[in-house]
Amino acid sequence: MSYILEAKDLRKEYPGKLALRGLNLQLAAGEVFCLLGQNGAGKSTTINLFLGFIAPTAGAAYIGGLEVAANALKTKQYLAYIPENVLLYPHLTGLENLALFSSLAGFRYRESELRAYLAQAGLPAEAVARRVGSYSKGMRQKVGIAIAVAKHAQVLLLDEPTSGLDPKAANEFSALLRQLSGQGTAVFMATHDIFRAKEVGTRVGIMRAGALVDVRPTAALNAQELEQLYLTHMHD
Amino acid sequence: MVTSIAQKEFVSIRRDRRFVVLGALVLALLLAATLVGRRAAAAAQQARAAAQHMVNEQFRHQPGRHPHRVAHYGSFAFRPVAGLGFLDAGLNAYTGTAVYLEAHQQNSVNFSPAQQAGALLRFGELTVAFVLQTLVPLLLIFLCFGAFTEEREAGTLPLLLSQGVTMRQLAWGKIVGYGRAAALVVGPALALAAWLLAAGAGAGAGPLALAGRLAMFALSYAVYFFVVIAGAVLVSAGQRHSRTALVLLLGAWMVGCLVLPKATANLGAALHPGPTKAQLDAAVHEQAQHGLNGHDPQDRRAAALKDSLLRRYGVATEKELPVSVAGLTMAAGEAYSSRVYQRHFAALTRTYERQNALSAWAGLLNPYQAIRPLSMGLAGSDFAHYVHFQQAAEAYRYQLVQRLNALQAGMGYGDKERRLGAATWRAIPPFAYQAPGLGWALGHLLGPALALLLWAGALGWLGLRRLDKMKM
Repeated sequence: MSYILEAKDLRKEYPGKLALRGLNLQLAAGEVFCLLGQNGAGKSTTINLFLGFIAPTAGAAYIGGLEVAANALKTKQYLAYIPENVLLYPHLTGLENLALFSSLAGFRYRESELRAYLAQAGLPAEAVARRVGSYSKGMRQKVGIAIAVAKHAQVLLLDEPTSGLDPKAANEFSALLRQLSGQGTAVFMATHDIFRAKEVGTRVGIMRAGALVDVRPTAALNAQELEQLYLTHMHD
Repeated sequence: MVTSIAQKEFVSIRRDRRFVVLGALVLALLLAATLVGRRAAAAAQQARAAAQHMVNEQFRHQPGRHPHRVAHYGSFAFRPVAGLGFLDAGLNAYTGTAVYLEAHQQNSVNFSPAQQAGALLRFGELTVAFVLQTLVPLLLIFLCFGAFTEEREAGTLPLLLSQGVTMRQLAWGKIVGYGRAAALVVGPALALAAWLLAAGAGAGAGPLALAGRLAMFALSYAVYFFVVIAGAVLVSAGQRHSRTALVLLLGAWMVGCLVLPKATANLGAALHPGPTKAQLDAAVHEQAQHGLNGHDPQDRRAAALKDSLLRRYGVATEKELPVSVAGLTMAAGEAYSSRVYQRHFAALTRTYERQNALSAWAGLLNPYQAIRPLSMGLAGSDFAHYVHFQQAAEAYRYQLVQRLNALQAGMGYGDKERRLGAATWRAIPPFAYQAPGLGWALGHLLGPALALLLWAGALGWLGLRRLDKMKM
């Protein structure tokens, strides 16, 4: 079976700190993998390695079968990234931000298409032509989702995407993720939100001190069992 | 990709009130400097043309006189205002505007605006070149210092790079975007300059020559602004915080625009000291003494010339000669003193050129010192253009005096008691200065042009390539 996202003995060391200790992981198309862990567990390091923003100390990360470190630009064509706090250009409108990021990814859309992507992401129509400087975090997050969707990415890398979102916005976000995974997009999401992980994930992994200590299919656990499992690992 | 980033930067800048205010201020300064400079240059040109016409008329309308008296009466050569002098006054304020043309004497160009102006001129004029060389880079620094640091601080850099953009593409996009913003500020002033030139042709050069100079002037500044923008973007890319980038860039601006130019000028004067005007005049006078003195009948060399003339014409006395010995003696003396002067003037010019060369070499270290001579040279207000005028004036003086000496020589013995008719002076063509062309100017500007291009190449090629290896 070919995987759209894969880590083989992926390791990252910083001076005086081992951030990631030999991660092995595979994601197939349409799968939603939620990585749980405390701050500093290595979740963001893992995402940065898949993005090619940092180089691995050992092992390799693969996107679409290509090694990220050797194909940093090519692998970015397959993925979209939504950080914890989507920071856009405040002097541009939501529409202009989406047009800009889409064009950087090689897609040029008509205004009607851009509006459709923003609407799909849940951004109110009245906001699309407003400058992003006036947006709430949730609205910026929606533009971030629209950017990812408009890129037709095969892999979504999400770093704490629902952190700070109100429940309604977080629910809308989850629904959109389910919709995208249903269309075959693989999702790799680092999160603290156990409830959200259970809700949208097909598998959850628990990371502790740079090591993936447990991986379970979400269908095999209810929310309370997942919470208990997480707490058990955190207190080991 | 680069176009998209450039467009984003341009739109963001246009919507940034801080830049709009600063940009409008600089634009207003540029437009004011263009208009005021043009008006002042036109007034100066009008005054000089009127003065030139007046002295020409006075010369033409002299009564019947002895030619040597006419040679001592002399004339003036007024230096026309350079076609683009209103954009860059260069050395115009310190070099003279008029030279007195007379027999036996090679005068320097006198009556500089600085001699006649108050002390305020010492603080410099507000010219278009000053704004372009000093204030626009400052505006560009304020515009560019956060090119990368603000992306880092705002957290937009990861999102940008995740779209498949390289740091180099990002930098090029920003350079193009900032460049468009700079063009928005500078363009109207240059367009106004072009319109003013088209509306009222400049002095001393045709409209095509001026258009060529203006195009090269604009191109030179485009390269200069590219260097400033690319340098600022690279500094920003290498820093984590905007404040550090701003401090570094402002420091570079102060060193480049204020400290280094003065330091190299002082170093040049110290390494290659030139004589004072009094020393030069004394040296020329001392050596000219070794030549013929047409006013001294006891002069040994004049007597020798007379003897040779007597032998050549096979006559025994001066009375029998068909030519005036005094006239030929004057001509020989003039030729000698002129050679002496030319030798000293060439040495002095070489000294100044060595001083200037040091500043030109400094252009390799400092792009400000590359654009400054380039700008002055293209405007026609640099030292080379000054020397060109001085030499043209001296060539005319020499030719005029020798023509008068020839007239005297042709009058034969006893010429001192006779006069030539007033029509004689009207037949002598007046001084008409032809400013050198663009090709000539560029030939004198290869050093600074090369230095500026090297800067652009080093930053655009080597500097931006390094960005690819740079981490977020």
